[in-house]
Amino acid sequence: MNTIFNLSGISVSFDRHTIKQRSLRHALGNIYNRNGHYKTQALKNINLSIQEGEQVGIIGRNGAGKSTLLRVLTRVITPQSGELHIDKSKHIVPLLELGIGFQPDLTGRENCYLSGILMGYSRDDIGKKIDSIIRFSELGEFIDEPVKNYSSGMYARLAFSIATDVRPEVLLVDEVFGVGDEFFMRKCIHRMQLLMHAGTTVIFVSHNLDFLVTQCKRLIWLDQGTVAMDGNSDEVAASYRASQGIKTNNGNQIRKEISGIFSRS
Amino acid sequence: MDLISWRFTWQYSKDQLKLKYRYTTLGFLWNFLEPAIYLTVLSVVFSLVNRMNISDYAVFLFSALVPWRYFEKIVNTCTDAIVGGDWLLKKMYVSPLSFPMTRWIVASVEFIFSLVIVLVVFVLLKDSWTIHPIIIPLTIIPWSLLGLGLGMIAAVLFTFFRDIRPIIQMLLMVGFFTAPILFKPDLFDNHAIQAQLLRWHPITYFAALFQKPLYEAAWPGGIDWIVSLSFSLSILLLGYALINRYKGSFYYYL
Repeated sequence: MNTIFNLSGISVSFDRHTIKQRSLRHALGNIYNRNGHYKTQALKNINLSIQEGEQVGIIGRNGAGKSTLLRVLTRVITPQSGELHIDKSKHIVPLLELGIGFQPDLTGRENCYLSGILMGYSRDDIGKKIDSIIRFSELGEFIDEPVKNYSSGMYARLAFSIATDVRPEVLLVDEVFGVGDEFFMRKCIHRMQLLMHAGTTVIFVSHNLDFLVTQCKRLIWLDQGTVAMDGNSDEVAASYRASQGIKTNNGNQIRKEISGIFSRS
Repeated sequence: MDLISWRFTWQYSKDQLKLKYRYTTLGFLWNFLEPAIYLTVLSVVFSLVNRMNISDYAVFLFSALVPWRYFEKIVNTCTDAIVGGDWLLKKMYVSPLSFPMTRWIVASVEFIFSLVIVLVVFVLLKDSWTIHPIIIPLTIIPWSLLGLGLGMIAAVLFTFFRDIRPIIQMLLMVGFFTAPILFKPDLFDNHAIQAQLLRWHPITYFAALFQKPLYEAAWPGGIDWIVSLSFSLSILLLGYALINRYKGSFYYYL
């Protein structure tokens, strides 16, 4: 098995910018006045390796660094420290958001071409696939309308059809299944399962724990930018639930605090 | 730049051009109208202010003004190219070079269209014609490369310092008024300090690439080619190197 991603000591931190801090005036001022920057550490010393054909789920609370990690894997973010090795021979399709690269004024068909090119296909490739993309998206004649006139469901359907009609070897998915009606969602999940059976490496970020446990053998639990647990999906899901469970057991404590705030005001 | 970025740049430029003219007929016409109005107003103003042979001066002025406006447009539209590409750069990996390149392609296509009207103006103003203007498709190349190079530098600076735009525009203005575009270089005595300074002004040689074939009925000199090509290529390399050097940091500033 080949290693697709290998991360060692990856750290990412964001400056808490204000608009002012992006000015030349501010930069010149800083030469004399070196106030410490406010930084948010999004990922701290992440060590991971993901093999070909694995299906990995990433879980964690909001702000745990899940999306940042996915952005590092897609090379959108260059980490400030650590080493990242990516198997460049593999065709990697990022699905961080539905409809990346869609231009609102272009028609659905034109957006297929632009979006398909971003996913690594040539115009000719897309020309061959376009009929099956349109069929799967169920858009029919709307395909020649500008996408700004689409409903959010139509938009999502087109975006999903493009991203999965292409046959990626590695697919990175960030919480994109909550779209479309139930029937389309089932179609999507069915298609994802076909891809996974065909050996596609898939990395999911999702809050839907049940979905991840059924689809992935391995789960990675991120907490405040670090890997809290990495392993068999049932075990990780159980520990994750338990950790959150402790907090919910403290419900009485929270209720007391809340009533305290109200009685004071 | 990798293959995906090249394909994207090309497709996105085509889409931009398509969108610009899709819903409007005047939009396309404006490409011709704008330079026509601009050049007409200038001719009239100068014929009132100056008592010199107006059509002679107009041919001189327009010969270098036309490439200058093209060059200036590239720099201005490229300035916010990387910042304007955040919708993609924050979500997917493409080379940040794609965005200045797209602006450059769009400006160049529009320039080619606007050349039609420039040609009409020159036919109206010029009495006698020679073979020399045939070199214009080659002499525009250094101007174009200089525009792209400076545009890339401006795009990087603008990403980090959002208040840099007025400074860039001021520098462009200084460049324009100190170069022999509005005035003829033989205005000064050959040994005068102004003439010496003009020899150090790179735009002098760029301007000569157009003034010689269009106004003086001569081929551009070897020195014009050497200075303009080496200057524009150096700026282009500098811009390219800057983008490559800082491309890992753009995400944090978009």
